[in-house]
Amino acid sequence: MHANLIGLGALILAAGLLARLGRRFRLPTVPFFMLAGILLGPFTPGPTLFEHPEDLDMLALLGLVLLLFHLGVEFPVEQVLGSGKRLFAAAGAYIGINIGAGLGLGFALGWGTSEAFVIAGAVGISSSAIATKLLIELRRLANAETPLILGIIVIEDLFLALYLALLTPILSGADSAGELALRIGISFGYLVLLFAIARWGARLIGKVIDSNEDELLAVLMVGLVVLVAGLSAEVGVSDAIGALMIGLVVARTSVKERAERLVLPLRDVFAAIFFVAFGMSIDVGAIGSVAVPVLIAVGITVLTNVTAGLITARLFGLNQRGAANVGLTVLGRGEFSLILATLALSAGLDERIGPFIALYVLILAVLAPILAANSRMLARFLPDRLLHDRWRYVREETISTACTHMDRIHITETDTDVCPQCVESGDTWVQLRMCLTCGEVGCCNDSVNKHADAHFADTGHPIIRSLQDGDGWEYCYADGTLIREPAGSNRS
Amino acid sequence: MGKGVHIQELPGVGTRYDIALGSGGQRVSIVASRDGKRHLYVFETSGDDPTAVLELTEEQARKVGAVLAGTFFTD
Repeated sequence: MHANLIGLGALILAAGLLARLGRRFRLPTVPFFMLAGILLGPFTPGPTLFEHPEDLDMLALLGLVLLLFHLGVEFPVEQVLGSGKRLFAAAGAYIGINIGAGLGLGFALGWGTSEAFVIAGAVGISSSAIATKLLIELRRLANAETPLILGIIVIEDLFLALYLALLTPILSGADSAGELALRIGISFGYLVLLFAIARWGARLIGKVIDSNEDELLAVLMVGLVVLVAGLSAEVGVSDAIGALMIGLVVARTSVKERAERLVLPLRDVFAAIFFVAFGMSIDVGAIGSVAVPVLIAVGITVLTNVTAGLITARLFGLNQRGAANVGLTVLGRGEFSLILATLALSAGLDERIGPFIALYVLILAVLAPILAANSRMLARFLPDRLLHDRWRYVREETISTACTHMDRIHITETDTDVCPQCVESGDTWVQLRMCLTCGEVGCCNDSVNKHADAHFADTGHPIIRSLQDGDGWEYCYADGTLIREPAGSNRS
Repeated sequence: MGKGVHIQELPGVGTRYDIALGSGGQRVSIVASRDGKRHLYVFETSGDDPTAVLELTEEQARKVGAVLAGTFFTD
């Protein structure tokens, strides 16, 4: 039995230390694992821990499988399905713009059709792990746009499964259009089959792996996952999808919580090996030749993300801060881009894809947290008309937690089209506001008498809405914020 | 219960509870994340920048919660 334990241990330790150094500066871990692989790999001058990186293949593959399995297990199916059409529209816009621009870039590079699809996925799908960590570190969990950001990245994860199902047949190198269509058909058919198992067969799967003892559950679970991943690869669907889908199945069994907890440390270790192994396959000398395309790709990604942020903000009535936060928080690229790069390299595509995606992920890893932390700067430059044609008073308002007084809304419509108190005293008014607790109509702050303000001072009824045609905003006096519906609510 | 507490699902993270504390924009938001941690956001004004943010483990959150609820006793 021959195994390079010294090399493996030193490599993982070095990767961990480098990532910890990055964390000091609040940088994401995944790119640093990869960087450790690049620096200590056989293509870089200096120490080489592994003469034959392919010795790591099995462990790295296990990392890939566990990474996607965990994604499937923790996927919040109910929350996503219940989140409403607008969130899907926002996520669809994000994915469409980013994948579309990625495809354009991929074809413009002229490396080939399969290569273009890989590049589209790698630059189009953001890293959920990086975005979630950023929201926690930037203390934005209480912000109004945060549920939207999280909703979008979760829907993106779902899209990843579909994209992998499309990509694997393309990468398999079918000879004719008919054969390609057949392979795509098989791929999606397999996806449907696994969905059906998730829907109706979860109880059975749960019985197979269930055990009261954590030790046995972990062993049975890993066995099942690896087996399904292997079978999926055998059918011509990628092992990655198999692992993701079996994760969705396990998520519907009674062992979900325990499975999630048990697989997490395994995933962390083996996924790190996967990222390191990918790094080791990168030839540093080749990075210079892809630098220009990578810089263009980074520029495009920033642009498409901000655009998608603006679309989301328009759909949900967020202000400049919200738009900038949405666009710049989902900028990070990580695990998924590296997975796609690995798929491309193992399918024997253009070798420049490796260094291209490696450099791209590294640059965004540093850029994304910096831009997200300074989203305020971008917000200053976003003109009002991009967000809402008719909205005024928007830019100055803070956008914070969803208003906590919405249970005080009892009435939303009125026939009154005058300010009754002004009519009585013979005054005029500029605009009308309506109290949503009792339905009283009063005049706005630009009017002489400011009856709406006075009504709040008298009664404490917190929420008004504008009766101006096309305005459609609501304001809470108590919170001092414009009100936006929380994502997923059915209030319209 | 329920009145004045706004509940918001955060997909992939957990659940957020926004609690208004009278006028002037004072409020707290508590995010119960699925890994058991609790993020406590305190706002003293109606702005969007929290005055304080604490990250509590499950154990710490239980201790703080017990004291707040008046059910904490030493042995």
